[in-house]
Amino acid sequence: MLDSLLALGGLVLLRDSVEWEGRSLLKALVKKSALCGEQVHILGCEVSEEEFREGFDSDINNRLVYHDFFRDPLNWSKTGEALPGGPLGALRAMCNRTDLGPVTIALDSLSWLLLHLPCTTLCQTLHTVSHQDSCPPGDGSPVGKVHVLGLLHEELHGPGPMGALSSLAQTEVTLGGIMGQASARILCRRPRQRPTDQTQWFSILPDFSLDLQEGPSIESQPHSDPHIPPVDPTAHLTFNLHLSKKEREARDNLTLPFQFSSEKQEALLRPRPSQATSHIFYEPDAYDDLDQEDPDDDLDI
Amino acid sequence: MAAVATCGGDAGSAGSAVATGSKSNVTSFQRRGPRASGTNDSGPRLVSITGTRPSVRNGQLLVSTGLPALDQLLGGGLAVGTVLLIEEDKYNIYSSLLFKYFLAEGIVNGHTLLVASANEDPANILQQIGPVSSSRFGHYYDASKRIPQELIEASKWHGFFLPEKISSTLKVEPCSLTHGYIKLLQFIQNIIYEEGFDGSNPQKKQKNILRIGIQNLGSPLWGDDICCTENGDSSHSLTKFLYVLRGLLRTSLSVCIITMPTHLIQNKAVIAHITNLSDIVVGLESFIGSERETNPLYKDYHGLIHIRQIPRLNNLVCDESDVKDLGFKLKRKLFTIEWVQDNYLRQERNIYPPGFSYLLKQKDSAWGEGSLQHSTFLMSFLAKATAFASRLVRHSEPLKQTGSGRICQAAGPRLWHDGRRQEAPGLLGIPP
Repeated sequence: MLDSLLALGGLVLLRDSVEWEGRSLLKALVKKSALCGEQVHILGCEVSEEEFREGFDSDINNRLVYHDFFRDPLNWSKTGEALPGGPLGALRAMCNRTDLGPVTIALDSLSWLLLHLPCTTLCQTLHTVSHQDSCPPGDGSPVGKVHVLGLLHEELHGPGPMGALSSLAQTEVTLGGIMGQASARILCRRPRQRPTDQTQWFSILPDFSLDLQEGPSIESQPHSDPHIPPVDPTAHLTFNLHLSKKEREARDNLTLPFQFSSEKQEALLRPRPSQATSHIFYEPDAYDDLDQEDPDDDLDI
Repeated sequence: MAAVATCGGDAGSAGSAVATGSKSNVTSFQRRGPRASGTNDSGPRLVSITGTRPSVRNGQLLVSTGLPALDQLLGGGLAVGTVLLIEEDKYNIYSSLLFKYFLAEGIVNGHTLLVASANEDPANILQQIGPVSSSRFGHYYDASKRIPQELIEASKWHGFFLPEKISSTLKVEPCSLTHGYIKLLQFIQNIIYEEGFDGSNPQKKQKNILRIGIQNLGSPLWGDDICCTENGDSSHSLTKFLYVLRGLLRTSLSVCIITMPTHLIQNKAVIAHITNLSDIVVGLESFIGSERETNPLYKDYHGLIHIRQIPRLNNLVCDESDVKDLGFKLKRKLFTIEWVQDNYLRQERNIYPPGFSYLLKQKDSAWGEGSLQHSTFLMSFLAKATAFASRLVRHSEPLKQTGSGRICQAAGPRLWHDGRRQEAPGLLGIPP
């Protein structure tokens, strides 16, 4: 599943933490895209360019287009090689690209951008960048998919921005692991379908290629206690669903008012001895108001 | 509030109102004599707009939300001039479905639509709905099919897609309302004024309803940071927007649906403000990914639906249903809402004698499975109030007072029959 992360377009969030760092996974995905022949743009804000390019061999390094915002983020040296508008300007420039092949944009890191830019502006820009392929240009030529990989450090942000970015992202990869074995929990949101949730164990090799693995042995993870019985939902209903034996017998012996059984048929067919007088048995209720006065007494017939 | 009463039968009945013995006549006083106005209007001056009907409680004009089950829970439908707020479920699957049902209902009835969204082009949204079958009021839509293209083209709609309306490099001066909201309000106001929904264009004879749909209001894509921080700069922006929107709606023949990701809003007090500023608030909670998915009580359902608020329009009391645990499930053509414990009522058929079940199994009856009447019957039967239960089934017309008045109000959902509400007769009986 991890290798098909880039099959869907859109924003991919890589959420890492102090114990399980995500930059190596980011670099592995960048390498994969570069090997597929896609254009790769990197917005480097957190680490220097040399550190990012370390570990890649030269042909991959030649394919990466690196925008460096680490060395001089506010453009104080005014050399003119820095892009105007800072990282936001660079992102917006990528919104209006003219070439139409598939492109991967790696944000290293999205946390840095979130701390330096207002959250709403960042969300709007990310949305525009990652949804370029849904609005094709006027001539109708197919636009390649845009993948935006954002590295997000979970511990730096509160639930607000994290929630906002999660709702925006098509795929969310949360890094974790057990006992030295790294795992990625991949939550994939397709537009009108149920989100899928999978866990994939992996490791990154020194040349930043991805090695997918099976999980660790199962007996190290205790499952839920088998002694606890499953919850019986019928216990808390407002009505009783179980019949006792006596109740069951009473129910079986009940004759329904509209049921036409053979006894009834015979009783009706048998000539009744007292046709003229029929008995009405009436048991008055507690609330019944028995008025002995007959209202028809007033009539003078 | 646009108080337009409708005539019970067809609007095209000629002559004065005296001749027609319509069923839902608003008043029992008839007018005789020559008519004062010399207009050529056929029939009385009351108009009938397609897709609307009067409420049986107070004559309020109602439109369907597109989902008959939801209409029933809201007291017959959505009142014209009100706002329906849907609190989105976590992955925005079912709330967008309700949004599309609302729009599809508008297309089928010929209402004018106004679709506003910040993340998806309104034309794309309209492509994703499809009608299937119709009933009297409210239709059933198949979510997987697409609506025929000519139907969309025949209908009148206006779209508001935020990234097109504002350019990102615009320098905006700080103001109490977010820029996107101001633009949206101006757009809505223009449409209402130009198309005469507020009665400003008296030449228009054919009145119509404007259905406004706003998707994902409050999300960061609208420029509002209410989902990102607790005390942001524009913390009052959304509440002001809702206030102004409601003012616009009350003075026009329009109805609005808003979906809002309230699970992202950090400041809980704001959610209470938003609830107060909307008229009807419905919350959706889907079971995907939550621990309730494994609970056997919720096994057959896709989520819970919470009716958080129902308005009191021209009334002292609101029409709130007593049932609290409502679950929904989405089958291909049908989005059903029912009482969660209905599952167990259905399964435990061996509890009550078989003679009763044939009456309940009739096709298309109001006593069908999952209806509130069915649940009431089963509940009262199982609670050993057999007399009451048998009376429910024996008469298919309203319950008559039979003299002894020992019928106590059954606990549980009240009865709906064809949309009209029947009270179980209480102690104040009408003497025979």
